[in-house]
Amino acid sequence: MMIDIMLLPILIPVTAAIVVFLAGEKIRWAKEIVSLAALLANLFIAIKIFGQNLSFSVPWAGFGMEFVLRNYHFSSFIISAVAVFGVLITLYSTASLRDKGYAGRFYIFLLISVAFANGAVLADNLILMLFFWEGLLITLFGMIAIGGLRAYRTATKAFVIVGLSDLCMMAGMAIAGKLAGTFTISQISLPLSGLGGLAFIFLIIGAMAKAGSMPFHSWIPDAAIDAPLPFMAILPAALEKLLGIYFLARISLDMFKAGPGSWASMLLMIIGAVTIIFAVMMALIQKDYKKLLSYHAISQVGYMILGIGTFVPAGIVGGLFHMINHAMYKSCLFLTGGSVEKQAGTTNLEKLGGLAYKMPVTFICFIIAAASISGVPPFNGFFSKELVYDGALERGWIFYAAAVLGSFLTAASFLKLGHAAYFGKRNGAPVKEAPIAMLVPMIVIAAACILFGVWNYLPLKYLIQPILGARILEGHNFYGFPTNAMLVIVTIAVILLAIINHIYGVKRSGSALKAADHIHYAPVLSIIYEKASKRHFDPYHIGRKIVGLFSRSMWAIDKAIDWIYNDAAPYLAYAVTGGIRRLHDGSYNTYIIWSLAGTILVITILVR
Amino acid sequence: MIKIIRRSIQLRSGECEGGWTWFMENIILLSIIFVPVAGAFLLPVLKNASRTLRNGAALSMVLISLAGSCMLAPHVLAGNKITVFKAFPLGLNFVLTADLLAVFMAIASSLVGAIIVLYSFGYISHYKNQNEYYFLVVLFLGSMMGIIFSANLIFIYLFWEMTAIASWRLIGFFRTTRDVLRADKAFLVTVFGALVMLIGFIMIYQSTGSFDLASIKESCKTNPISNIAVILILFGILSKSATLPFHTWLPDAGVAPSPVTALLHAAVLVKIGVYVFARLFIVTFTILPVWHVVMPWIAALSALVSAGAALVETDMKRIIAYSTISQIAFIFLGFAVGTEIGIAGALLYILMHGIAKGGLFLCAGIVEQNTKTKNITELGGLIATMPITAVSFLFCAFSVMGIPPFGGFFSKYMVISGAADSGQILLMVTFLAGAILTILYLFRLFNKIFLGPRVFAGAKEGSRVMVFSVALLAAISLAAGIYIYYPSSFVQSAVKQMLGAG
Repeated sequence: MMIDIMLLPILIPVTAAIVVFLAGEKIRWAKEIVSLAALLANLFIAIKIFGQNLSFSVPWAGFGMEFVLRNYHFSSFIISAVAVFGVLITLYSTASLRDKGYAGRFYIFLLISVAFANGAVLADNLILMLFFWEGLLITLFGMIAIGGLRAYRTATKAFVIVGLSDLCMMAGMAIAGKLAGTFTISQISLPLSGLGGLAFIFLIIGAMAKAGSMPFHSWIPDAAIDAPLPFMAILPAALEKLLGIYFLARISLDMFKAGPGSWASMLLMIIGAVTIIFAVMMALIQKDYKKLLSYHAISQVGYMILGIGTFVPAGIVGGLFHMINHAMYKSCLFLTGGSVEKQAGTTNLEKLGGLAYKMPVTFICFIIAAASISGVPPFNGFFSKELVYDGALERGWIFYAAAVLGSFLTAASFLKLGHAAYFGKRNGAPVKEAPIAMLVPMIVIAAACILFGVWNYLPLKYLIQPILGARILEGHNFYGFPTNAMLVIVTIAVILLAIINHIYGVKRSGSALKAADHIHYAPVLSIIYEKASKRHFDPYHIGRKIVGLFSRSMWAIDKAIDWIYNDAAPYLAYAVTGGIRRLHDGSYNTYIIWSLAGTILVITILVR
Repeated sequence: MIKIIRRSIQLRSGECEGGWTWFMENIILLSIIFVPVAGAFLLPVLKNASRTLRNGAALSMVLISLAGSCMLAPHVLAGNKITVFKAFPLGLNFVLTADLLAVFMAIASSLVGAIIVLYSFGYISHYKNQNEYYFLVVLFLGSMMGIIFSANLIFIYLFWEMTAIASWRLIGFFRTTRDVLRADKAFLVTVFGALVMLIGFIMIYQSTGSFDLASIKESCKTNPISNIAVILILFGILSKSATLPFHTWLPDAGVAPSPVTALLHAAVLVKIGVYVFARLFIVTFTILPVWHVVMPWIAALSALVSAGAALVETDMKRIIAYSTISQIAFIFLGFAVGTEIGIAGALLYILMHGIAKGGLFLCAGIVEQNTKTKNITELGGLIATMPITAVSFLFCAFSVMGIPPFGGFFSKYMVISGAADSGQILLMVTFLAGAILTILYLFRLFNKIFLGPRVFAGAKEGSRVMVFSVALLAAISLAAGIYIYYPSSFVQSAVKQMLGAG
């Protein structure tokens, strides 16, 4: 029997996961080899079918739910990216999880995640997509929960937040399917009014929550502390962004007739801008390597959503380009964090310092990725941010201002991070450079950051622009150096400003770690930060309180109903029977009176 | 029974072409019901020969129901209906009909029932009165089959009360005063509902002149069933299926042995109500359209109240029981909105929820037996010593939550989609809230029992047969999602038959 090539990206990792599961705990190297081989095979398939128009269809659950896969430029681009990250992170994990008991389980979850991500991207049927998409919840929960004895709390938090958004998406799909009369994604084209608008909102909730945008973000910083590090590098940094933004683009560009003038555009841009600012504000004050990065993983989503939300060609191209760039530099940053954690034993910035000379390769990779995320030319982040700025400015200066402010704070926080971790005095035990299996993925990604920056026509011309096609691009080409000199000047000025700000902060507080204290403890801001650190703004926290209140009132209703059965009904029964029993007092006179009264009653009724 | 078969052969043999097949089908249909119902009485006697023989006989009787239902499946899938008919005076005709809905339901409940009986081998062997236990369980499952295949209101009522009696004794299996009181409560509430429902049946008899579902269906096509009769029948259905405001007996019945709670709360008893709802209100009666709005909202309230209560409760079996009430509401939603995909979703929900919830109760039983407590605040960290139970529990919980690739995903999606299709968006959102609460309380349960610091260092896995049963239920939950094509295509034909002329 021939298995269709489009099924392989799903079947190969799942089969490998089963093999790893059956392999037992003893033979660890076999698990590593199986996982790596399966993901390499997956990468091979992804490259082989890249750009081809393929489809595969079998009947499935009925009622319009068909098992339809469609490979075209966009989906094959995403699965190739997923495949690359899968291979690199697995390679990294073979070294970084070497002494961890949960390594085998991690590979199983990783393989299944890759399979489900492939399935979700290739699916051309909404329900099939949801099947894979929501299935990622299980690996999400599993990968966080294996991180420690208490990690299950964060795992549950992540599951509930993402699960809630997936349920919203389910509702959106039900409505969209009803309106469009089909679940085939490539055939859906809905207006944004009435129920269509509701469906749109439900669907983007799912997409944005997967990407980790506000207000569905709050599990990511917690997971940075609890979950195994490769998890952060593969899911929140890479896979979830790719999936979320992929689907956001599909919803807004293909499935709904949204344009620059629509409320949908305004909504997306506001969410994007808010996410950029608030998340980066939180990142600025973090004192932990991984947690700081995790807030940036939220903040950067804002750029992508803002870019796509502009609905102008430059913005959309920028948003998608930023998606792939972010996946690269953010997972690279997390990987450097992982090497630091493994070699120095902590990610607490107060205990780190002076690592630049001890871990030069890690340091260089960090510098490249940090420069990318801060938007320093000529790294890849610079070019995608310029495109997003371009689009945002076209739609309103306020969005541009928010994006630029975000860039300033991003640069500031990475100056702080790099300074605190890699320079200054080293205290504690001596450290060595990370093992080669951990360095290779970092070097590869860092090199790609340069490649995608300096030769940005490669990704833009061959990966991003064909997704949109000539209709949306309106004949523009976006590769090469940005044409709008004003924007470039502002960007460079902002980076210089961030450096000045950092020097000022260090001078003022005397420590690299406290470089942002003048912002942290500024009037008004310090109060907000205080509340934020107590989780007053965590939607999950607020939600749990509301649910607690709700469930206690439901409990009271339930108890009230139960009281009727347990107390009121028996009491009534005893009262009635007791009353009747009292009438039967054994007295002859009483019975005579009753009989007479009864006879009279019967006669009156009969006579009347 | 044999007489009935012989008579029905004489009655029908002239008009039927494939005499032998037809004969076999009737034998199968009758044996699905009467092998367990009659055989149950043999079980206490078999104990004298050997305990293993009795246990084996109990399991094989349930398996006969399962096998029989599966054997009928190809015939009904071909579009046939299998009918056994024996006329009696006063409209009390003995009619059995096997259509797609009935066969689906029979397979779903006897499958879960069989696994629960298997689990009982391990669980109940520690307790007294095992004869009574097996007798009642098998009798109960047989009566359930009777309800499923009966096509006469009075026989539905008779089997209905037989299940009530069996469940009454099963809930009060441990004979403390508290258990007996709880059993009485369950019995009184459900029998009260059933009696009210009987009045409704009699009203229908008066307006249509028949208790036979087929003739009622014909005569109420022109004039819908009166609302009073609908309300009276709903009393019975809601009390049996533990829906607000008749639900409180269900958590209380958690005092029963775990396989019994699995049988009653998850797989079979509570599904009687929803099944009869589908059989009467979708297949047979024509009711006013207002019920497609009222009924889902009753279910919505039920879903929210019980889900909220599940988040506060600390007794693990009561939490799962509240969860059942809440999930039953989803089934009612699917049936009550009356859209095609909703009904299909509700049918799948019966199957998926039966399997998964049965698994949850059985896992809880293993935990309870090994730690001697049901209070989740006293538990924790059991995944270290009971990994298979923990993972099975989690799998079943995922299925109940509706997480793919488990089977529950499809049923949950389809009922939600059914609500969307009927245009009741607010209703759909209410049920989404219910679905989120489901995730919350099931995770609370799982985390408190299996994760966190270890409390019971010595807690071991249950006996091999018990662990095998729960793992089997978990595996079926997963397989039902991956191979959704098969149950789903069965359900699609069933829905067509239910709504169509057939």
